[in-house]
Amino acid sequence: MSVEIAGLTAGYGDVPVLHDVSLEIRQGRICALIGHNGSGKTTLMRCINGLIKAWKGMIRVAGRDISLMRRNDMARLISLVPQGGHSPFQFSSLEIVLMGGASRVKPWASPCASERRLAMEVCREVGVEGLAATPFNNLSGGQKQLVMLARALFQNAPVMLLDEPNSHLDFSNQHRTMGLMRRFVKERGVTALISLHDPNLALSYADDAVMLRQGRVVAAGPAGEVMDDAHLREAIGSNLMLDRTLSGARVVVPRDVAVK
Amino acid sequence: MKATEIIMKNLLVILCAAAFLLALLASLSLGRYPIGLTDLARLVLPQLGLGGYVAPAPVEMQMVFWNIRVPRILMSIAVGSGISIAGVVFQALFRNPLAAPDILGVTAGSCFGAALSIMFFTRLALGVQGFAFIFGVFAVSIAYVIAARSWDRSASVLVITGIVVSAVFQAGLSILMYLADPYDQLTKIVFWIMGSFHVASWAKAQVTLPVVVIGSVLLGMFGWRLNIMTQSEEEALSMGVDVFRWRMFYVVISTLIVASSVAAVGAISWVGLIVPHIARYLAGTEHRRLIPAAAFVGGGFLLVMDTVARTVSASEIPISIITSLIGAPFLGYLVMRRRRNGCVDVG
Repeated sequence: MSVEIAGLTAGYGDVPVLHDVSLEIRQGRICALIGHNGSGKTTLMRCINGLIKAWKGMIRVAGRDISLMRRNDMARLISLVPQGGHSPFQFSSLEIVLMGGASRVKPWASPCASERRLAMEVCREVGVEGLAATPFNNLSGGQKQLVMLARALFQNAPVMLLDEPNSHLDFSNQHRTMGLMRRFVKERGVTALISLHDPNLALSYADDAVMLRQGRVVAAGPAGEVMDDAHLREAIGSNLMLDRTLSGARVVVPRDVAVK
Repeated sequence: MKATEIIMKNLLVILCAAAFLLALLASLSLGRYPIGLTDLARLVLPQLGLGGYVAPAPVEMQMVFWNIRVPRILMSIAVGSGISIAGVVFQALFRNPLAAPDILGVTAGSCFGAALSIMFFTRLALGVQGFAFIFGVFAVSIAYVIAARSWDRSASVLVITGIVVSAVFQAGLSILMYLADPYDQLTKIVFWIMGSFHVASWAKAQVTLPVVVIGSVLLGMFGWRLNIMTQSEEEALSMGVDVFRWRMFYVVISTLIVASSVAAVGAISWVGLIVPHIARYLAGTEHRRLIPAAAFVGGGFLLVMDTVARTVSASEIPISIITSLIGAPFLGYLVMRRRRNGCVDVG
């Protein structure tokens, strides 16, 4: 199930944030969304998720125009992993994960026993089954993010949107989350769009990259090809360059650090 | 370990049920016309077809018991449950454990409507109850209509419009009270605003109980979805819950419950705010379990409060004075033990 965006312009109030964005996110691949704060990453995700309306242009998910879909149907196609996450009330982590199944549960019902079993299974896959009974707000940032990931996986939608899933995580948890995502995308044939601040995570884990600058697409394509010096400078910072580690992996580093 | 845990959980339920039964018995027997436990048996058993075993109670006692005390007790339990459930729902919808069911202006509207009726429309068949109900619902509708005109569809806009509407109706109420005849109308208005179950009757119960009971059952049925309503709008929407439509659904039902309760017995402060916290302490936050717990605790709480209101002094004490005296300090206590993560939740 791919996501096709054609000529998308959108924004808030009367201020446009995205200008004429066209791109395709292909099935079974991780697509990294890269750009400054305010470059339109989150707005693009909100458009795909139908949370804000497109002013112009068209978004199709699995061939269907999302502006014509009901919320419940959309939740079966697209899931969201939000940043951080805080609940104003103390729910157990399992209850938080179970919420992901809302589109399958009748409004007057609650999740049945098989849903609960399935939720525990997803928790096990993500490695948070030991936290199922723990109150969500007592978890660390990394654990919360994993529970949020489990909830989105439990929603079982073919397209996943992850909005800066790493922003509150330490170094090893960032790699853990990305590694898990990579595994799920390849095992389940999910389509994942992940906005990232760290270009090195994109280089290590993403198949494709979309680079945004001031609401316009600077470059889109296979991550290894489009993330070159010129595009990095344009999308993220003028002082950046690509370098190689001793083992040959490519990394993005600030120019003055690399040259020193 | 597991087995003892289950026993402990059930022990809590058993203790609560026992406390409730005790309160019910005490409330049935206490009052200006004391009815002993043997008298209770003489009153109740004949109604169950077991009259052969006891001598029937005196007619006067039967009148007091069946026509005054029983409807009053039923009303206090039902209203307590209904308002507490509405409190749970509002706290979930506004994602704030300190929200109360009157933040959208239902109480202010009802009080204004009641005062209007007491002053100008005493002869209408609809009466104070009808006016209070209509104006309570009307106030919330205005708050909703104003909020719908904002580009921002979040719940916080609704809170602001609720404050606006409450303030306007409170000002209207002040004008009415300023104009009211101090020897007759003003006293009536003041006493009505502070709420009391001494006005309870079968006639009122017939109008109020169906709304409160059906509304409460509906909210209980649609309880699991409230869990999702406590998450951010963006999260709830992406999980497939049309937050805006469902918020309307929950607000409409809660408002009907609160408006019909307030219309019947006057404003009852604090119950809708503090009972959800006690219920959360007992049953946790999951709304499928929380709503029945809140109904139970709220019903018992208001039953006890009303029994105090009618027995502690020679004359009837308005119920809101008692619920405020207990409720406000309790909120202070909650604020003091509020946790760092922002939850007042103790569960």
